[in-house]
Amino acid sequence: MAGSIPECGKGEALLKRHFPLVLVLVIVTLALLLPFLLPWSYDQINWDAVRAPAFSGSHLFGTDEIGRDRLARLAAGTRVTLLVAIAAALVSLIVGIAWGATAGWIGGRVDEAMMRIVDGLYALPFMFIVILLMVVFGRSILLVFVGIGLVEWLTMARVVRGQVMALKQRPFILAAEAAGTPSMTIILRHILPNIAGVALAYLMLTVPQVVMVESFLSFLGLGVQEPLTSLGILVKEGADDMDMAPLGLLLPGGLLVLILVCLTIEGERLRDRFS
Amino acid sequence: MSLYEIRNLAVDIAGKRLVEDVSLTVEAGQCTAIIGASGSGKSLSCLTPFGLTPGTASGSTKLDGTDLRTTDARHLRDIRRRLTGFVFQQPLTALTPHLTVGAQLQEATMQAGSARPSRRDLAQKLERVGLSRPDERLDQFPHRLSGGERQRVMIAAAIAHGPKLLIADEPTSALDASLRAEIMDLLDELRAEQGLAMLLVSHDLASVEGHADQLVVMEKGRVVETGPTAAVTASPAEDYTRRLIAATPRLDEAVPKLRQPDGLLVETRGVGVEFPRPGWRRGKVRAVVNAHITIRRAESLALVGGSGSGKSTLGRAIAGIGPVTQGEILWEGVPIPERRKRGLEMRRLIQPVFQDPVASLDPQWRVQDIVTEPLRNLRPDLTKGERNEMARRALSNVDLAEDFLTRLPVSLSGGQAQRVAIARAIIAAPQLLVLDEATSALDPLVGAEILKLLVRLQVENGLSLLFITHDIAAARRLCHRIAVMEEGRIIETGDIQAVIGHPRHAVTQKLVAAS
Repeated sequence: MAGSIPECGKGEALLKRHFPLVLVLVIVTLALLLPFLLPWSYDQINWDAVRAPAFSGSHLFGTDEIGRDRLARLAAGTRVTLLVAIAAALVSLIVGIAWGATAGWIGGRVDEAMMRIVDGLYALPFMFIVILLMVVFGRSILLVFVGIGLVEWLTMARVVRGQVMALKQRPFILAAEAAGTPSMTIILRHILPNIAGVALAYLMLTVPQVVMVESFLSFLGLGVQEPLTSLGILVKEGADDMDMAPLGLLLPGGLLVLILVCLTIEGERLRDRFS
Repeated sequence: MSLYEIRNLAVDIAGKRLVEDVSLTVEAGQCTAIIGASGSGKSLSCLTPFGLTPGTASGSTKLDGTDLRTTDARHLRDIRRRLTGFVFQQPLTALTPHLTVGAQLQEATMQAGSARPSRRDLAQKLERVGLSRPDERLDQFPHRLSGGERQRVMIAAAIAHGPKLLIADEPTSALDASLRAEIMDLLDELRAEQGLAMLLVSHDLASVEGHADQLVVMEKGRVVETGPTAAVTASPAEDYTRRLIAATPRLDEAVPKLRQPDGLLVETRGVGVEFPRPGWRRGKVRAVVNAHITIRRAESLALVGGSGSGKSTLGRAIAGIGPVTQGEILWEGVPIPERRKRGLEMRRLIQPVFQDPVASLDPQWRVQDIVTEPLRNLRPDLTKGERNEMARRALSNVDLAEDFLTRLPVSLSGGQAQRVAIARAIIAAPQLLVLDEATSALDPLVGAEILKLLVRLQVENGLSLLFITHDIAAARRLCHRIAVMEEGRIIETGDIQAVIGHPRHAVTQKLVAAS
């Protein structure tokens, strides 16, 4: 199949096939660059243009009910949401791989015990715990991480454990053992590189999940603190004011859906390729 | 007129011509065998005329007077249903897992439009293919049956509706050596009894000899040679056929010249291996029981037995990559520890080679890193340059060119991958190689070359070999002695020529008869 694509159109074909990924990258670039291009920052109030409609003066999408530029806030919200998502996904990747690989490699009783812990954590009512944490320790972005990290590594650990157990039986691992390669080296140099593909696919699928969870927490008012914002907070603010200014809900909501759909499509494609 | 006739068949898949100019005939009551290496197009030639592959066939194929090529899909299905039966290589995947044997057999019987068979009819069909307790079998699911039993059910289903042509695609390749002969004999009987025409596909010349009337030798999508089996094997006209015949090990070929063994190297004393039973049930599975074997310097010992006889488990215990639960393994009289406790010096002396050459190489590593892996751990005194120099020498020792060093395993053929695996095993100068079915997964020509390579390494370097296999004829080419295993026990040991000449144990007799 690959041979049938003419040489010159290869880049173009790749672009077409990975259109969702390209779209996400464009969004990320915009979110990072906009603060330098816009005359307004996300927490700056323009007293002359409260509730300005779209395309009024320097406010491309208008301003919210206290006169902050919508586009600047949208960019800031996207940054925070994706930052939280990527950080939490990375944490889940590291914890999940470490836990899953250890359980799968050692096997036997240790594996049983470790996986029962995972099952136990799965069973906890996660939202309830996050709300409790928030109530006890107060709102902070760190707690959002902890709360999300607590659940998101579980799936990764299960996937990695299964992969490691399958790989452990492969002759090349036995050959490495016979060649005197220490266990740690076998895990680092033989096993991890061979599960990297699957882990990457699940990482891609974890990011949209975390975006979802973060937005939900923020929507409940448990996320990041004002005036810092996230897509979830923007959706909530927009929803409060939707009869007056529907743009305030549609913009962050639409962006959220777009990011989620694109990342999920790419993630599932990756997963299908590796499993 | 022949019952089935193929003329100038060509098969294309996605615009690529994979089979060209194949002609063959199958007479009623006779068997025509297609043999060739994997990828030679033998299965494609058999299955494509019936619409069972993604390929498109051109040329003429006549079955019982009907040209298959000109009929439409519906008519083709009808012919397939009424006139033909199929037996495939993997009996477990060819049977539907959620249907009982009886249900599958009933469906097969009724496929050509006959009335619902009675339970007695079905039991009789199973009895005909040599299954014991047929009535009980009818209610069993495929996973309860052994490989040989499944293949018998497959055959019973394939002939249940009274076809005229039976197509058997590697019907015995997934089975033990001793079962192979039984299944082939059964097919012969059925053929004689029901006047079936049979088209047999195999990569193994030895297993079709004495069964097939006509032989078709294929190579790279073309027919190389065709004719009566006896004539082709006695005086092959083509070079490829000659090489194929020479590569197929047989028991009556000349006794090979091997190096004279020296003193005792390894001895297992009462070695036993137990595994905890899988699942929640308590108890143990005894894979190896009280095994005594000895291997001398520069000697090769064949460890032979059916699948599940414990031969691989014993080999892994000796190679230090599997557990030992009882007894001890002695190296020059000194006990050596099991698995993870084994020291690096001991690891250097014993190296394994596995059955599936591609799976035994890390797909992410380049050949150079794969081959030098033992050196990095076992010879820390060497510099990187010295290691790479040794890798070059090890590759040339297994007849691979130097430019293989930078290749990845995906780009290697089965034979090349197995050479790389052997290079990795011999690079740190071991004294014993444990070869676990090292030639079984390879095509006959390639397998014969690997056998030759092993004999050469033994003669030149004085290596000892533990050659684990189910193929006695192949073992005879390089082994001095033989140990036969059955259900975890060593049941017979001795000089390989003597044991083949006068097998004492019933299992050994069966294995010898099957070769």
